[in-house]
Amino acid sequence: MGNCCSDVGGGMAAVGGTAASAVTGNQNDAVDMFFKSRGIHGLFSQIELSFSASNLRNRDIFSKSDPMVVVYIKERDGAITEVFRTEVVLNSLNPTWITKYTITYHFEVVQTFLFHVFDVDTQFHNVDVKMLKLEEQQSLGEACCALSEIVTKPNRSLTFDLVRREESVTATHSQHRGKLTVHAEECFSSKTTSEMVLRCSDLESKDLFSKSDPFLVISKLVESGISIPVCKTEVLKNDLNPTWKPIFLNIQQVGSKDSPLVIECFNFNSNGKHDLIGKVQKSLADLEKLHSGREGESLFLPTPVGHDFQNKVLKSKLFVDQFSETVQHTFLDYLAAGFELNFMVAIDFTASNGNPRLPDSLHYIDPSGRLNAYQKAIYEVGEVLQFYDADKRFPAWGFGARPIDGPVSHCFNLNGSSNYCEVEGIRGIMMAYTSALFNVSLAGPTLFGHVINKAALIASQSLANDARKYFVLLIITDGVVTDLQETKDALVKASDLPLSILIVGVGGADFKEMEILDADKGERLESSTGRVASRDIVQFVPFRDVQSKSSSQSKGGEISIVQALLAELPTQFLTYMRSRDIKPST
Amino acid sequence: MESKSRTLEITILSGEDLRIDNKSVKKNAFVDVSIDPFNCKTTKMDGEGGSNPSWNDKLVMDMPMQTRFITLAVKCKASSGEKTVGLARIPVTDFIGGYSPETCLQFLSYRLRDPKGLKNGIINVSVRVKEPLHACSSQAAAGLGIPIDGRNDFGVVTGIPIWSGYPSNSFFR
Repeated sequence: MGNCCSDVGGGMAAVGGTAASAVTGNQNDAVDMFFKSRGIHGLFSQIELSFSASNLRNRDIFSKSDPMVVVYIKERDGAITEVFRTEVVLNSLNPTWITKYTITYHFEVVQTFLFHVFDVDTQFHNVDVKMLKLEEQQSLGEACCALSEIVTKPNRSLTFDLVRREESVTATHSQHRGKLTVHAEECFSSKTTSEMVLRCSDLESKDLFSKSDPFLVISKLVESGISIPVCKTEVLKNDLNPTWKPIFLNIQQVGSKDSPLVIECFNFNSNGKHDLIGKVQKSLADLEKLHSGREGESLFLPTPVGHDFQNKVLKSKLFVDQFSETVQHTFLDYLAAGFELNFMVAIDFTASNGNPRLPDSLHYIDPSGRLNAYQKAIYEVGEVLQFYDADKRFPAWGFGARPIDGPVSHCFNLNGSSNYCEVEGIRGIMMAYTSALFNVSLAGPTLFGHVINKAALIASQSLANDARKYFVLLIITDGVVTDLQETKDALVKASDLPLSILIVGVGGADFKEMEILDADKGERLESSTGRVASRDIVQFVPFRDVQSKSSSQSKGGEISIVQALLAELPTQFLTYMRSRDIKPST
Repeated sequence: MESKSRTLEITILSGEDLRIDNKSVKKNAFVDVSIDPFNCKTTKMDGEGGSNPSWNDKLVMDMPMQTRFITLAVKCKASSGEKTVGLARIPVTDFIGGYSPETCLQFLSYRLRDPKGLKNGIINVSVRVKEPLHACSSQAAAGLGIPIDGRNDFGVVTGIPIWSGYPSNSFFR
């Protein structure tokens, strides 16, 4: 019952960026909405960056420098935009700035920042920092890094040597320009989560021949009066007194404990037009009161009377059976405690990709340097994940090809080695991929079982060694799996491991069947022996959706679907850790 | 391989979408766990969950080495007596010798089949294999208090009594 809220999704499309545009930083409404339309919440954390520096260069003659930090966001195409200025600290070469920069951390995008330290001349000291003309100030140096580099540091602090842009790298060693330390702190509010069990009584039957199939949608109201869905329950079949599974609402998702929430009860219809059974408007605080008073709140239904709507109060009631608040460890807490995400990649070398030497092949390496679909997918996913992998050594495999003189292999090491599968960095994957294209002959069929088993084995070995690792396997393929049942069996078996699998389909094949593997869109995966996946570990996306968008993506506005899928990883990571009660602290 | 049985900690977590004759189970669902006909345990009855009961009942059972399957029978008590909702057979190989180290807590879910063989709901359990109960006499004294490696190959087993302070969550410190 994954995507049954098409009506809500449609309504959301009209919302645009009104809700959250107050937050600075890379705004990511596209992903946000994509998830909400599927009833999933991306993982967003508010982060506060604070700055300090040591041994800055002295540019003033009669006193010390008066430094200020300016923060820029660096886009993929290299364009930089100023986003923040600290205050000016007077006469200090070891300043600690008070003003903090708050941004939203997005797991799925590489958020690159440029920090530039200026010495502000005395004559400007009574000017507001926002009004200062930077070209009139002296530069004390700058530093550049990705936000993920800061948050993956154990103490969430990163210290860089400041450099001057015009200087060549070799010249810097003679002149020290001091160091800048950036510290990232997660805002506390995002850690509080309310858990509720909601129940309704005496719902009306909306179906002709059976009882209603109710589900709840909880939305927050924003200033413009539009409601934005934040949470959705499962559909319970044929139930007029339903109790849904516990709902988790993060305080941050709803704004505050007192912000009004609209709770709507719908009758599920497979055609996507769900009938509203009734609704209530309550804040989290109200819901808590309902729980402590053990009272029910009557649902109402807007009913047309003439030209107007009147709220008809129904017999049906909403109860809050459980209400508790917990402070949950966030993804960043785990990172700080040394947990890692390890990236693995498997590439389809079946013959259906076409002869790699011909330009119409999906594997064609363009001499002009334009990336093919496989390279793009590796790059887009790898670029984000590499920061979360400490040694940056990635296992890389190919499948569905015949290595020189051998039989068809469904899992061979991309680097051509017979005993180790790891390559160095994203560049290593790219190089191993290109060289593999020359060293193997494409064959078939398309079997995933072997690579999934191999990845699962690595994950289980890490588990046995007590390692704080979670694995992400990226499978890039041009076609439908031949061994659907075998793949399902392998996935079900691996569902209990610290492993997520991302399948990206390239080319024009019909990937309908692949969606079965993605449990978001249907039932839980079931193996041939009757075992069921203990959680959803697979995400599938056809890459063509992405390609059409990636051209405009460099402009900064749009986010590709691959990134949207990546955004789900922290949630899968947390589900795994929480279900096993693994805590980030030692 | 002297030991004849190991201790199994099986937690019956919850059921999903349980039905009897295509009608949702109202209440009083429980689970019979049997390793063999003489080695059965039963969970408590679930009063509130209806067709999605949650038991969270931890059963500690002895499992002989030669055991191949564990049978879970979800039943429901009604005025007319006990009815079987569905059965699931867990192959022991799903949690011993699979991917996960066997002494690690493993979460498993199974599709239930009713007595006619038709698909019913899903049952979620977690399993942890404790160190074997027996064959620990001589080594046990020396082994007390010494942290043990929880990842023995299952060919060779170190006999450590279960009361030797092996913390249940030691796998994820």
